[in-house]
Amino acid sequence: MSMIAGHLEPYLVLSSLLFSIGAFGFLARRNAISMLMSIEVMLNAVNLAALAFGAFMPTLAGQGVAFALLIIAVAAAEATVGLAIVIAIYRNRKTPLVDEYDAMRQ
Amino acid sequence: MTDTPLSTAPLLLILPLIGFAFTAAFGRRLGKRAHIVPLVAIAAVWVLAMGLAIPALLGDPALGGEGSSLTLFTWIASGDLIFNVGIHVDGLTGALLLVVTSVGALVHLYSVGYMSHDGSYWRFFAYLNLFMFSMLLLVLADNLLVVFAAWELVGLSSYLLIGFWYTKTAPGLAAKKAFITNRVGDVGFALGLMGLVVVFGSLDIHTVLAGVEAGALVGPAATVIALLIFCGAVGKSAQFPLHVWLPDAMEGPTPVSALIHAATMVNAGVYLVARMSPLFAASHDAMLIVAAIGIFTAIFAASIAFTQTDIKRVLAFSTLSQLGYMFAALGVGAWIPAIFHLITHGFFKGLLFLGSGSVIHAVNGEQEMTKMGGLWRKIPITYATMLIGTVAIAGLPPLAGFFSKDEILGEAFKFGYTWVWFVGMIVAAMTAFYMFRLMGLTFWGKSRVHDESHVHESPWTMTLPLIILAVPSIAIGAALGFPFADGVLVHALEPIFHPASEMLGHEHEAWTLFGIDGLLMLASVTVASIGTVVGVRLFRSDNNEFLGRVTKRLQPLYDGSRNRWYFDDLNDLVFVRFGRKVANALWWFDRRVVDGTVNGVATLTSSGGRGLRQIQTGRVQNYALGIAFGLVAIAAAYLVIAG
Repeated sequence: MSMIAGHLEPYLVLSSLLFSIGAFGFLARRNAISMLMSIEVMLNAVNLAALAFGAFMPTLAGQGVAFALLIIAVAAAEATVGLAIVIAIYRNRKTPLVDEYDAMRQ
Repeated sequence: MTDTPLSTAPLLLILPLIGFAFTAAFGRRLGKRAHIVPLVAIAAVWVLAMGLAIPALLGDPALGGEGSSLTLFTWIASGDLIFNVGIHVDGLTGALLLVVTSVGALVHLYSVGYMSHDGSYWRFFAYLNLFMFSMLLLVLADNLLVVFAAWELVGLSSYLLIGFWYTKTAPGLAAKKAFITNRVGDVGFALGLMGLVVVFGSLDIHTVLAGVEAGALVGPAATVIALLIFCGAVGKSAQFPLHVWLPDAMEGPTPVSALIHAATMVNAGVYLVARMSPLFAASHDAMLIVAAIGIFTAIFAASIAFTQTDIKRVLAFSTLSQLGYMFAALGVGAWIPAIFHLITHGFFKGLLFLGSGSVIHAVNGEQEMTKMGGLWRKIPITYATMLIGTVAIAGLPPLAGFFSKDEILGEAFKFGYTWVWFVGMIVAAMTAFYMFRLMGLTFWGKSRVHDESHVHESPWTMTLPLIILAVPSIAIGAALGFPFADGVLVHALEPIFHPASEMLGHEHEAWTLFGIDGLLMLASVTVASIGTVVGVRLFRSDNNEFLGRVTKRLQPLYDGSRNRWYFDDLNDLVFVRFGRKVANALWWFDRRVVDGTVNGVATLTSSGGRGLRQIQTGRVQNYALGIAFGLVAIAAAYLVIAG
């Protein structure tokens, strides 16, 4: 296992930053595609955090990597399903803007 | 099962049931011929019943003594609890069969004439057959649960027949009163039966009685169960304080009064107590209460009969009084005289009621004796037969009532219940008096009939039953009760009541003319004669000045008696008015508290839901924001707690 220089904290700071950006994007953007992209950012932020823990904490060495791999697989599946849904809704409602999707309220 | 003497007994139940079903289904189309099927059915029942009753009373080896049983089918089988429907015939059943079917058949015949002008002719006969079925079931059943069912069925038929003219208000109200008052007693009866199930695990009469005789039920439990069952008898036999329904039941057609409310159904209570005699004998207190209620009802009702002016009401109170006699007899342990009086009373009171119906028929439906008088020339057959009935009920020898009443009084005295004997003597004098008052007001003196030209003797279908009933009214006392204490009835019933008498320590003694028995008989004949002489002298003609003076002097007593000692008013006050207040209070509680709680919960939920609906925007990002905040909150909480 190769050693990585430096400390754990900067990785975590970067990870939180990425996650916050993703969360903000998810909450603030009206476009469904942008929201899906924000989700990807958040997932990758989590991936980064997991790998960082795996690298700096000996007890978590294998688990961090396994966790990241799992998240990548889930993210791929989620993106596929999410895009399919968005396209289906888009065909139905002729708009990618989520605040127009208010059928549940009716 | 083929060689049982009871092989014909199920027909006693099936025939009236067929008569009822047939008439109910097709009677309307038969019009004035609707009586044929019910009449034939009851005539056949009478023949069959005599075939059972006479051997049973004469001590036939199969039907006398312990009697004989026939199980028909299992009605309810629930675990260990099994209720069979079966028939039991012994001397006691025979005695009841004799009265029920004889009077029943004659009343059916009488109704052909009496109801001939009625539009619902067929309905009347359908009900009568239903009643006969129920009453025979009650008498024949060998399981108390079946007895209870039959008990309710006779109540139902009584209700239907009292309210037969349901388009008028009074009969409808009277029917309801009878039904509801009976329910009060029946609750007790039902509770008593439950008690017996708990103790014996069975309601088979023989199992229960065998258990009681073996001493399985003693002490307070016996008292409570006996009194609960007695409650049912009090309701059905109209004893104080549930007597109020019987006088009102006279709103029904007169044949019904004769059949149900004089000769048969009201005897059901007496029959029940007699049938359960060991149970009552097991509790001295219960016996005492039975005797006290009986003798009190006897004098209470007799005192009311003094002043009533409706001919049927007088007879109704007389019935109450005589039933009181029977219960007094049961209460002192004079089982056989009680049943003896039941038989003789069934015949002569049936006769008197049918006679009163004939009178009412003759004077165009008038029931007030103040508007009768002097009828004896116009309706001689009715007069003669009613006179026989009156002498019989007055207890003058050698007619039927003398034998049975004398035995009741004599045994009450000999068993040490001198108070019962003393009150009974007074009631005997009162009975003779008010019955001759009835005869005087109706048949003697000057006519007060409104339109005399229409007064006519009734058709043969009505007079024939009167003549036939006059025969047992004269002779059945001597036939069943002579020689004294050694007659047919004593032999027939002795084995049935032997266990109960043994539990009470009563011994059967030989009757002695020149001893206490002769003296007691002389005393009872004397008081009956006094009542008769006073009654005849006062009401022979229209010398009402003396009566007026007496009445004026005893005005409060007169008013009290005339208003039935205000018992209906008391009931009105306690149960109707006070009951209404309680009901109103409960209604308020129901509306405010019960409904209020339910409605409050509903309001809270719906307004809460309306408020919470505001946050359901339907926008995905709002929900996401909620999730984000939730996540932050959970993370913060974790940090606070863990850190």
